[in-house]
Amino acid sequence: MSGDRQATTQGPLAGVTVVELGDGTAGPYAAKLFGDLGADVIKVEEPSGDSTRRRGPFPDGRPDPEASGLFMYLNTNKFGVMLELDGQAGVQAMHRLLERADIFITNLPAKRLASLPFNAAALRSRYPRLVVTTISPFGMEGPWSERLGDELITYAMSGMAYSTPGMPDAADDLVREPPLHPGCFVSETISGLVAAEASMAALIGRGCSGQGCHIELSQQAAVAAMQIRDVTSASYIGSRYNRLLNPITIGRMPNFYLPCKDGYVTVAAPMEIHWKRLTQAMGNPTWAQSETYATEAARTANWVTLRLKLIEWTMTLTGAELHALAEKMQLPIFPFYSIRKMAESEHSRERRTLVEVEIGGRSAHMPAAPFKMRATPWTLRRPAPRLGEHTAMILKDGLAA
Amino acid sequence: MTQARSRPLPLEGIRVLDLGQFIAIPFCTLWLAWLGAEVIVIESRRRMTSRTAPPFADGHEKDPNASGYFNQLYSSKKSCTIDMTTAEGRDLVRRLAGVCDVMVDNFSTGVLEKLGLGYEAVAAVNPSIVMLSNGAFGRAGPMRNARGLHSAVNLFSGVADVTGYVDGHPRILGGVVPDPLSGTYSGFAILAAIHHRQKTGQGQFIDVAMHETMLTLIPEAVIDLTMNEVEPQRIGNRDRVNAPHGIYRCRGDDTWLAISVSNEAAWACLCRSIGHPEWLTDSRFASPEARRKNVAALDLAIEAWSHGQDVHEAADMLQRAGVPAGPVLRVDELLDNEQLNARDGVVTIDHPVAGPRRQMGLPWRMDSLGVEYRRAPLLGEHTHEILTGLLGISEADYNRLEAGGVLS
Repeated sequence: MSGDRQATTQGPLAGVTVVELGDGTAGPYAAKLFGDLGADVIKVEEPSGDSTRRRGPFPDGRPDPEASGLFMYLNTNKFGVMLELDGQAGVQAMHRLLERADIFITNLPAKRLASLPFNAAALRSRYPRLVVTTISPFGMEGPWSERLGDELITYAMSGMAYSTPGMPDAADDLVREPPLHPGCFVSETISGLVAAEASMAALIGRGCSGQGCHIELSQQAAVAAMQIRDVTSASYIGSRYNRLLNPITIGRMPNFYLPCKDGYVTVAAPMEIHWKRLTQAMGNPTWAQSETYATEAARTANWVTLRLKLIEWTMTLTGAELHALAEKMQLPIFPFYSIRKMAESEHSRERRTLVEVEIGGRSAHMPAAPFKMRATPWTLRRPAPRLGEHTAMILKDGLAA
Repeated sequence: MTQARSRPLPLEGIRVLDLGQFIAIPFCTLWLAWLGAEVIVIESRRRMTSRTAPPFADGHEKDPNASGYFNQLYSSKKSCTIDMTTAEGRDLVRRLAGVCDVMVDNFSTGVLEKLGLGYEAVAAVNPSIVMLSNGAFGRAGPMRNARGLHSAVNLFSGVADVTGYVDGHPRILGGVVPDPLSGTYSGFAILAAIHHRQKTGQGQFIDVAMHETMLTLIPEAVIDLTMNEVEPQRIGNRDRVNAPHGIYRCRGDDTWLAISVSNEAAWACLCRSIGHPEWLTDSRFASPEARRKNVAALDLAIEAWSHGQDVHEAADMLQRAGVPAGPVLRVDELLDNEQLNARDGVVTIDHPVAGPRRQMGLPWRMDSLGVEYRRAPLLGEHTHEILTGLLGISEADYNRLEAGGVLS
């Protein structure tokens, strides 16, 4: 009998204790990933509270530190403790939490951290078994280590801004279309995730070595590591990246992002076999047989005019029609989904991609687990804590109860 | 290069059977291998993972040992050639699954089951195995069989809905990010499952949908939509709350500077350092609300300044003044970036065919645990070692399998 027939209600990380001194997205998200899998996560906030409490989105846009949608998402499945860390009592309380912790995660700005007695070296010597995970914009060594960085700056310096819009899209106009950052926390989320994986590896390593570890993560490096495909091209060919139509990444055409009757689709037909299917799908127009588009090389060389020809065709059909045709012809064509359409799709519903929560008395949906563990499923055990909600309980009784 | 090999590797002793392709799963197991896991890649001349993909080392086009795509994604792993189109080959893979802690794949949904290597079949041999399957739309749900590479994942996930120029059409996030992102989530999930198994002995199946990993990038927009019926907006490089927050043109071709101001102190530093102290009392820009309202004029005003500046000098000057700013780096500039290099973030790995090549190493440093960067394996380099050693197959049987084409 397979080992996973009995799903437990405890997560796979039950029994692990994490103390988070985080702000914004990166640190809190790393800790959330542990909490979502069953670890006891104690979020420590100073009296001013995590800045995400002030960011929202709020119900009807009315600011309320206990009803910030992003805060609620990033801090589900955590306990909340408020400590005045500039005072002796707060520092002592923090040490009581750290004594029982397996992992400490922080992404507080270096300046703030330096003013507190919780720097990595001090914690490592006082708690030899503790995994100390620090997330900073550029890392703690090197010429940029003292510099100011955030979501946008680390994203810009990771290669990701320059390659957006990216394959199979590209900039149309180098001046009017700058390197693009999306309206979300890409760099911080990736850093939080990488910090979680690194901390998890250190926890497993501790099982053998008996030693804790300082995980010293650079946000810039975390996002740069994601650029592996294009870094490989630079390393092997040495060519300069071009935002317009990158010959490295947009090798064979058509493989692009095009408008259609009601939105946008990607059309990928880079190889001869795909091109045959695509021309069939288009009803074998005469232009497609012409020398200008007859070979893979010709199609790439004449991509500018080929693109316009294809758009003439895609504009006659809806995204859904193109997708249905593509599935029939075994062609990779896929339509753009708005967030609403994705959220309301049968696929999302069946997979429980989103979970319903209450925010300030209002119903809302947020992303659920990004992976489904069959034996130890993701559960929403508790909503994000109110500021200091569990201070008394945790400092008085610990978590054993 | 090796960072203090004398330190223990955190994942030493964990064995992974890797049936991955493209980038997502190979990226997942790349980090596991660097952290000390023994990663056994199953490939064959019929199914050469990414060895046929460019770029190739100069003068070695089409050489399966010279693909940069392969060599950089398969560093520190072992190559075992087994032809899974043969019954004996499939049996060998099943036996290997029996002696591994983890098995991973990102085939199209259903392929593994057809090969007799689905979770049920593998768990029958090895109930405590952790098996992770990564698919564009996951392994459950009505779209589980839909075709899709990273661009489809991007378009379905909702991320494109918040990626675009002001009031423009949806655009696609670069760097084929659904692949390495879902690969990283896969790595975290595997390690959590291993932790659980170490405590309980229980293995399990993990279903990763690439689009769901992308969805984790956009909680704000999802919540605003479902709570307030606020439709997502494409706002270029601007932020919903803070201004200025943008990427501005500098002197020279296609050269850009990122500036991000999130408080009044940084705003005052910005105005003074770029020679516009009058903006501090300009009613259009004097408060965060005013700047948000007049952001178009603000962006134009900043670009009028930045346009004449050298990007690196401007970034240095703003940083000294206390303003978060930095140059937009091209991907090819990352390899030479002094900050990434100063913290051993760029590693050089030598290879007998491709020579020494640079790539990004782990983005974090460790003070008590080690990491090992070894070259990618040659095609079939470890087949004999794995089959005769790990599976205990006799030389005679090995020779028979090889002669029969099972190991090609």
